[in-house]
Amino acid sequence: MPTLKIDGREVTVERGTTILDAARKVGIDIPTFCYHPGLTKPANCRMCLVDTNKAPKPTPACYAECMDDMEVSTQSPEIVKTRKAVLEFILLNHPVDCPICDQAGECVLQDHYFKYSATPSRLAHKKVHKPKVKRLGPDVVLDAERCILCTRCIRFCDEVAKETQLEIVNRGEHSEITTFPGKQLDNPYAGNTVDICPVGALTSVDFRFRTRVWMLQSSDGVCPECSRGCKTRTDVFENVPRRTKPLHNPRVNDWWMCDEGRLAYRDYQALPRMEGPAAQVEGKRRVVTNVEAIEAAALELGAVAQRQKIGVVATPWFTNEDAWLVAELLRGPLAGARIYLGGRADGTADEILRMADKNPNRAGVEAIFEAAGLKAAPLSALDTAGLEALLVFGDQHALDEAGLEKLERVPRRVVVSAFQTPLWKMATTFLPARTHFEKVGTFTNFEGMVQRLEQAVNAAASCKSYGYYAMKLAELMGHTISFVRPEDVFAEVARTVPGFAGMTWQGLAPYGMKLGEGVAPAEPPTLPQAAPPAAPTEA
Amino acid sequence: MATVTVRRRELDFWEKTYVKEVGRGLAITFRQLTKNLLTREDVATREYPEVRRKYPERFRGRHRLMRREDGTVRCVACMLCSTACPANCIHIVAGEHDDDRVEKYPVSFEIDLLVCIYCGFCEEACPCDAIRMDSGKHPLPSFTRDMQRIRKHQLLEEGGLSVAEQGGRSK
Amino acid sequence: MLMVILAALLKFAAIVLGFVMVLATLLTLIERKQSALMQNRTGPNRAFVFGKNPLSAFVGQLIADPVKVLLKETFDPPHADTWLHRLAPGLAFIPALLMWVVIPFGPGPVPGAEGDNFFLMADLDAGVLVVFAIASLSVYGSTLGAWASRSAFSLLGGLRTAAQMVSYEVTLGLNLVGIFMIYGSLNLNDIIWAQAGYDAATGFQNAYFLGFIPKWGIITQPFAFIFFLAASIAETKRAPFDLPEAESELAAGYFTEYSSMGFAVFSLGEFIGIVVVAALGATMFLGGWHIPGLPIELTAAGQPVIASLATWLSVAAFLFKVVLLVLLQMTIRWTLPRFRYDQLMHLGWVYLLPLSLANVAITAFVLFLTR
Repeated sequence: MPTLKIDGREVTVERGTTILDAARKVGIDIPTFCYHPGLTKPANCRMCLVDTNKAPKPTPACYAECMDDMEVSTQSPEIVKTRKAVLEFILLNHPVDCPICDQAGECVLQDHYFKYSATPSRLAHKKVHKPKVKRLGPDVVLDAERCILCTRCIRFCDEVAKETQLEIVNRGEHSEITTFPGKQLDNPYAGNTVDICPVGALTSVDFRFRTRVWMLQSSDGVCPECSRGCKTRTDVFENVPRRTKPLHNPRVNDWWMCDEGRLAYRDYQALPRMEGPAAQVEGKRRVVTNVEAIEAAALELGAVAQRQKIGVVATPWFTNEDAWLVAELLRGPLAGARIYLGGRADGTADEILRMADKNPNRAGVEAIFEAAGLKAAPLSALDTAGLEALLVFGDQHALDEAGLEKLERVPRRVVVSAFQTPLWKMATTFLPARTHFEKVGTFTNFEGMVQRLEQAVNAAASCKSYGYYAMKLAELMGHTISFVRPEDVFAEVARTVPGFAGMTWQGLAPYGMKLGEGVAPAEPPTLPQAAPPAAPTEA
Repeated sequence: MATVTVRRRELDFWEKTYVKEVGRGLAITFRQLTKNLLTREDVATREYPEVRRKYPERFRGRHRLMRREDGTVRCVACMLCSTACPANCIHIVAGEHDDDRVEKYPVSFEIDLLVCIYCGFCEEACPCDAIRMDSGKHPLPSFTRDMQRIRKHQLLEEGGLSVAEQGGRSK
Repeated sequence: MLMVILAALLKFAAIVLGFVMVLATLLTLIERKQSALMQNRTGPNRAFVFGKNPLSAFVGQLIADPVKVLLKETFDPPHADTWLHRLAPGLAFIPALLMWVVIPFGPGPVPGAEGDNFFLMADLDAGVLVVFAIASLSVYGSTLGAWASRSAFSLLGGLRTAAQMVSYEVTLGLNLVGIFMIYGSLNLNDIIWAQAGYDAATGFQNAYFLGFIPKWGIITQPFAFIFFLAASIAETKRAPFDLPEAESELAAGYFTEYSSMGFAVFSLGEFIGIVVVAALGATMFLGGWHIPGLPIELTAAGQPVIASLATWLSVAAFLFKVVLLVLLQMTIRWTLPRFRYDQLMHLGWVYLLPLSLANVAITAFVLFLTR
């Protein structure tokens, strides 16, 4: 357990800890470019150089391990000058085209320049020109002039995506990132290289030039595209999601997410959104108000005296709160109904993040239904014979033509969904639902990790969550349950569902909790976490 | 609240009849009437479309987009103007330029003149001398709101040549 | 009888179409031009019809205004009483025209002589009373129009019109009482002859005070003239008494909801009202057609010679006096600011009415002493 002093502050760390981690532990911020906590350390950018009493020359803090009696200085005049020199060197051939650079506003080079250098270039010669728009792969474009050769992208492909696709060619100032001959940056995690690029060298074709980053409003969420449930951030401009970025969650996805999930937000914009509640008026389907549609749905379901003649299709796209409210409806007014659990069909899976189950909350829905004593059959076992009414939640169900036909044979069909699908077309009563961008709630991933979802986009007033409709239907059918906030529902989930016992809404931040963990809390994650940068102490 | 009482002078009887002041008023208006009938010395009216006032050099009128020497638009769609715009009236859609030195250009550039407050922040913000408000022209009336959303080609029609050094020092 | 009616109609047509309407039409433009010049502006100068000169613009504007008004949509406000709404401009317009029936615009027979005045449509012994009777009708046009418009602005304007016109009509009438007492008649023809110095007993002896000052109403009743002027401006609802149509408060007051011809008739009626009031003032206080020092040629029967130059000069003099008074009213309108409503009522009832009464009393007292 070496004990060392960093800028006069004493800290004891475990053997093998780097100076950088030790400094962050005591709130001292050392600037870095090439260092990424999820990757190996090449120590090639030289930005993190610090003075120590154990070496005659400045030492890279990201790589050097702490020693006993070490005295580290991150603010000495020598180091301040060194950093300036390093920045000048990095910026020597940098085009400084920040106004047209997509990274501007979230650029590490920009931040470090203003914080540690802020001096104009002294270069008298022409800058070295390199390719500006080099397509590396389906979603990644390289601007070689902006690249500072930190090799984060190369290391990511090698170490995380496990596909060696990028390399540096040429020497000196002509060095540039490129793909191996005949290869493309097309691994399913390639989008992460854009995230970890500290400058604007790697840009996403999807997001390139679309919006300036300072115009975006971000909200945390959970990727619903598979049962991994990567922690994400949705960036929104003018109430439209513009991109999805992974957030750090050591218990689920570390720093990464797959391109499938990253680009999925576009699919929701491409689909025609259905915002008008519809019900039968004088034998014809008309657009009605939300209240009228809910009443119509309650009448349709209530018209069936025998509850076992009602079929309910639930969806693993429920949030836990939705699932609990739907369970209340199924336990109360609709007790005895035939229940199916739908969802999307299985897809590709790999060893890194992607799971075969392409639904976000199957584990949570199953746990909650089980606690409510409900038995749900898979949708593949769909049997609508004898059913007189149908209540379908969600629009992402693996239903083929035959399945749809089976559903259509039921005379009364209440559909709660967000998009224009065959289900919407066949509905006798349609209730517009919210997408996961518009909801507040929690998802439970395949391992039972419960994570919170923030509302990223404002929904149309007519669109409500599945849980809201379940609550209103239950109320109209004689079982009053009344909640306003999803937090309150979650508290009820934690009270009644065994796996969720002990969990609290606040307790889910920032990394979520595992089912069963609420009773016996696990050790808090020990992975390094960036401390908020402290103001540099006076030298 | 502090109150200051201002005492007005009491008017005497003749002043109260206002005969003198009414007479004086009539004299003034009558004098101006006859004077303006004979000369145009005091007439402040400008015969607008024919006689125009010279605007000050820094007058901010309708926007225009400047061109490069080769005639293409100088704007690189950096959106600094729309960021600086306090009225959010500038709407730019950026696109990939064929010349990768230029990289970005505005596919569409629209300014909603009904929303614009003519503050000039956009030309202040522009790093490329692309948007200027020195056309000296007023927004024109129109029959629809949409006609007040001036498009890129309209902005370019006004635009002249600018040879200001563009971008950083990467030449 | 038929001939008399026909002659009266012809005279009416001649004076109304030849003078009143022309003057009123001109006034719509002159007012704008005059106010512009008073305020160092140019006024309308764009509607050129022949060449680019001021006269061309003047004529062009006179043509353009009615064309524009005619082309406008006639608009009835929703929920308005359409019938009354359309009737009201006429109700305001007709009384203003009718008053011309009793105003002599040229010399007639001397008092006591047989025959009718050639320059008068109806030679009535109670002429002035007819003027008042008709004038009090004109308030109906404004108030009915205001009420029928079903608009808050209009209604307020109408209320103000009613209150203001009723208040000032009293003063208007009282200020003429002195004139009747001095000249001893209600017949306008006789009043003018009396102002010209004619006396049934002595003829034209003592026609002038001190030998040169005419015995006009303005000399014998100076205060009454000022009060009359104030009251008459209030009657025509013009600044500084323009509260019924105070544009900064009530849009256009009682005719806010009028467009096209309704609006035109209202405003034309207003201008005719100005001319009528000026004519009345000229008749009562400025000696009507009388030119000091110009003797009218009389026939043996006491009728003026129609073919005489002096007769026609007198007619011109009357018209000139009318125009002069009109211009004076307009100058006042563009000089003085509007009263507040309470000030208006205060002025009418607390100052003008008692002063007018005092004027009548003093006149009576002086007459009692001198005769």
